[in-house]
Amino acid sequence: MVHGRRSRSFYALSILFGAFVLFLYGPMVTVILLAFQGPDGGLTFPMNGASLHWFADIFQPQSIGDIWGSFDRSIKLGMMVMLATVVVSFLTGLAYRKKFRGSSVLFYVVIASLIMPSIVVSLGIGSMFELLGIERSWWSSAFGAHLTWTLPFGLLIMFAVFNRFDPAYEEAARDLGASGWQTIRHVVLPIVAPSLIGVALFGFTLSYDEIARTSQSVGALNTLPMELQAMQTNVTTPVIYALGAYTTALSLVVIGVSLVLVLAFRWRQKRFGSDADKGMV
Amino acid sequence: MEWLRSRSAYLQAAPLSLIFLLFFVLPIAMVVVVSFFDYQAYQILIPDFVLFNYQDVFSSEVTYRTYFITFRFCLMVWAITLVLGFAIAYFLAFHIRTITMQIVLFLLCTIPFWTSIVIRMIAWIPLLGRNGLVNNALVASGFTDAPVEWLLYSEFAVVIGYVHLYTLFMIVPIFNSMMRIDRSLLEAATDAGASGWQTTWNVIVPLCKPGIAIGSIFVVAMVMGDFVTVNVLGGGQVASVGKAIAAELSYLQFPPAAANSMVLLGVVILLIMLLMRFADIRKEL
Amino acid sequence: MSNNKNQTTPKGAVSRRGVLKGMAAGAVAGGAMIKGAPFVHASEPITLRIAGTGVNQFKELADKAKEDLGFTIQYTSLTSDDVVKRAVTQSSSFDMLDAEYWMLKKIVPSGKMKGMDVSKIKNYDKIVPIFTKGELPDGTKMSRQGIAPIKVSYLAGEESSEFATDPSGYMTLIPTVYNADTLGIRPDLINRPINSWAELLNSEFKGKASILNIPSIGIMDAAMVCEASGLATYGDKGNMTKAEIDTTMKVLTEAKKDGQFRAFWKEFNESVNLMASGEVVIQSMWSPAVTKVRSMGVPCVYQPLKEGYRAWAGGLGLPSHLEGRQLDAAYEFINWYMSGWAGAFLNRQGYYTAVLETAKPFMSEDEWGFWMEGKKAATDIMSPTGQKIESAGSVRDGGSFWDRMGNVTVWNTVMDEDRYMVRKWNEFIAA
Repeated sequence: MVHGRRSRSFYALSILFGAFVLFLYGPMVTVILLAFQGPDGGLTFPMNGASLHWFADIFQPQSIGDIWGSFDRSIKLGMMVMLATVVVSFLTGLAYRKKFRGSSVLFYVVIASLIMPSIVVSLGIGSMFELLGIERSWWSSAFGAHLTWTLPFGLLIMFAVFNRFDPAYEEAARDLGASGWQTIRHVVLPIVAPSLIGVALFGFTLSYDEIARTSQSVGALNTLPMELQAMQTNVTTPVIYALGAYTTALSLVVIGVSLVLVLAFRWRQKRFGSDADKGMV
Repeated sequence: MEWLRSRSAYLQAAPLSLIFLLFFVLPIAMVVVVSFFDYQAYQILIPDFVLFNYQDVFSSEVTYRTYFITFRFCLMVWAITLVLGFAIAYFLAFHIRTITMQIVLFLLCTIPFWTSIVIRMIAWIPLLGRNGLVNNALVASGFTDAPVEWLLYSEFAVVIGYVHLYTLFMIVPIFNSMMRIDRSLLEAATDAGASGWQTTWNVIVPLCKPGIAIGSIFVVAMVMGDFVTVNVLGGGQVASVGKAIAAELSYLQFPPAAANSMVLLGVVILLIMLLMRFADIRKEL
Repeated sequence: MSNNKNQTTPKGAVSRRGVLKGMAAGAVAGGAMIKGAPFVHASEPITLRIAGTGVNQFKELADKAKEDLGFTIQYTSLTSDDVVKRAVTQSSSFDMLDAEYWMLKKIVPSGKMKGMDVSKIKNYDKIVPIFTKGELPDGTKMSRQGIAPIKVSYLAGEESSEFATDPSGYMTLIPTVYNADTLGIRPDLINRPINSWAELLNSEFKGKASILNIPSIGIMDAAMVCEASGLATYGDKGNMTKAEIDTTMKVLTEAKKDGQFRAFWKEFNESVNLMASGEVVIQSMWSPAVTKVRSMGVPCVYQPLKEGYRAWAGGLGLPSHLEGRQLDAAYEFINWYMSGWAGAFLNRQGYYTAVLETAKPFMSEDEWGFWMEGKKAATDIMSPTGQKIESAGSVRDGGSFWDRMGNVTVWNTVMDEDRYMVRKWNEFIAA
């Protein structure tokens, strides 16, 4: 079932997966359709005319809300959080492979952070900064607030990654005289690297889409979701749908292009790489 | 040598510990203190040591009803995401053969989440609403005469919303567990004459227990604390514990909100300790 | 003191020229400061951070202020819940607060706000007397049920955290926008006249009604409904007793259990979506939301009701930490805000501005007639951003400024029994 011809379960599960993807994109379908509203259109059906108006309008300065400024901040913050989440969860994952005092307490603190209603965490961080007289901003207090949200995911995924990770690899490396760092760099990291992509994806996506923990910790300048939410307090146009449509289309294109590049690279490697092999012999 | 190893463990755990001390333990300690404060309409915090915030939580019939509804959501969503998540993780781990393709498919599942939740939540109305796409399709195809009302602003809608948001959180840890399974074990099982189902049930599921436990922690914790989805898709009419806390906070009733959060925290920690009895996710590292 | 005759005297025209001249000078100076000679001004360019809901955070206002005054306006837009929270827990994150009057009951006792010295406000005398005296320009007293602005307009002193009952010379907020709210309906889906708040609970609209879920506002709509349908009587709707709260919430809870409500809404935009998509045919609504639904080609009426309106008002206030150049700039901005251009801009949104006579010269006669006097529009009415929102020949729902503001029955509120009310409201939402 693992190798060889495709089994029946493959086709059944393919269909399930396809249906799941369709379901995930369900709201996106309406987002994209309604982005084509006419200039007087709203955020719901019925469509009021059809046009590309909002796709152009998004590049004009908006009357209410600073979409691009907040978009910029959210992307930067997302990247920072992603990087920190990958590094810190990986390190902590390594720590948990050994015994250390306080590991149980630390584990439950991390779990508690996952459970604690986000608005409460946000309020706590906000009030602490106020109390200490430190100015809040998206790159300090909100960055910390996001980490309290992404790190539990990162760490627990690392648990799943290291789950049944054979310590023999590391022991072998050590026996061959590798230092602790060398063992991690040349043995552990290459093996878990693909899984770290999952942690990175989680880190970015969770941060990019975060509202509750940001609300009281963000300071004067909003992140994108905060700005979009605040825009709901006034007339909101399909321009936000155009943003969604662009984001989705652009992501799909980027993924498609990278996929083609990777496949092309592989194909070349296979073709020319094998020639090289022969040459060696 | 042993000493060196444990010292490196402390060093490796230090960044995380520091982050959580600064941004979680200290702020939450403040919240705990506040949960014993008094409050009034025009004075938000009155330093004191009173227990009535907790008494209010436990003496109100609404609390129990709210917890009941939230538990019910939790159970339904957990069951659905578990089955769905396991099947999809299985597909990605065992049927998709290259890491590139696996990454591509994961990305495909992640893209919808790059359109802000604020926008996606609005988009449910034109999808599931009275004049939405689904209802139009149902009426046009003759399945129903009139639009189905319970597609939106109902408990059904809330569950759909949760499954939409949280299935991925089940898939990823289970997938990671599956990727660690030694493929020769599966071949051995097949060689020994086990059917696909038997291999899945007797070999894969037990080996995925940690992944399942981790995914379950994600889903349970997020459903228990959610207030956005339940608010939007329930049309503001469906109760949940997270929403009650959010409401108290928005009316600046900090002390009871703090007390409520502490109770919620206690309840969910208990739930998770229960989960850990089935699979200690730290033991098999 | 102004009276409503001012609207038609030529005085407006004179002051208009003065204002324009002043503004032109300001624009030149401002422009020079930004582009021409950064070195002449040793100090940093000023940025004012204004936190508030998006209700009047328009980019056009910020741009115009920059042009006229030379400093940058940076908006932090928040949901109405977050405005109060932000004001109380992190007042250092903004230089001006754009809040509603009822929020003051919660914010002022925290000591996070500073009284505004009215002697520094140029057009103070021209502010509509609703805010300075609690009465209409013809001298009739406004309703004091709920948090009428006059109850919280003044502080006992500049640094005080207590309200003054009489004009003290220190204002909490300088009013920016206010309005009289009522129910919005879909006439095409209802097909009969609606003239009472009681209709919100009419079983005819089962599953098609909505009420807003901000307790301070929602409870007032609920009270209007209960009183109108004879299900409850109140001493003071704006400050209910526990028993009155119980009765009101009982009526609402039963309606909810019967499936009367399709959804509750919290943000402006949600109300637009509910109405435009046909999920709801009758609901609490705000005036510009009705305008928006109509501009989408969906019929919607902001229905005047015989029991009167529920009013609200918002304004700009100063956090207590503000001082020095920032404080001067804040006063300068407020004076600019009241000098006319901004007022006209807001009037065209369907809101009302605090100083009417300075705004008038900045509006065309037709615009003024339509928005303020309840006259038939002679030409198409455009939004400030240039979209057509009303066709020639239409009349504003509810008529003129005085027809609407003169029929206010209650204001949004924070009651003495607020803690109890909010608990009950929560139970209603959870029921």
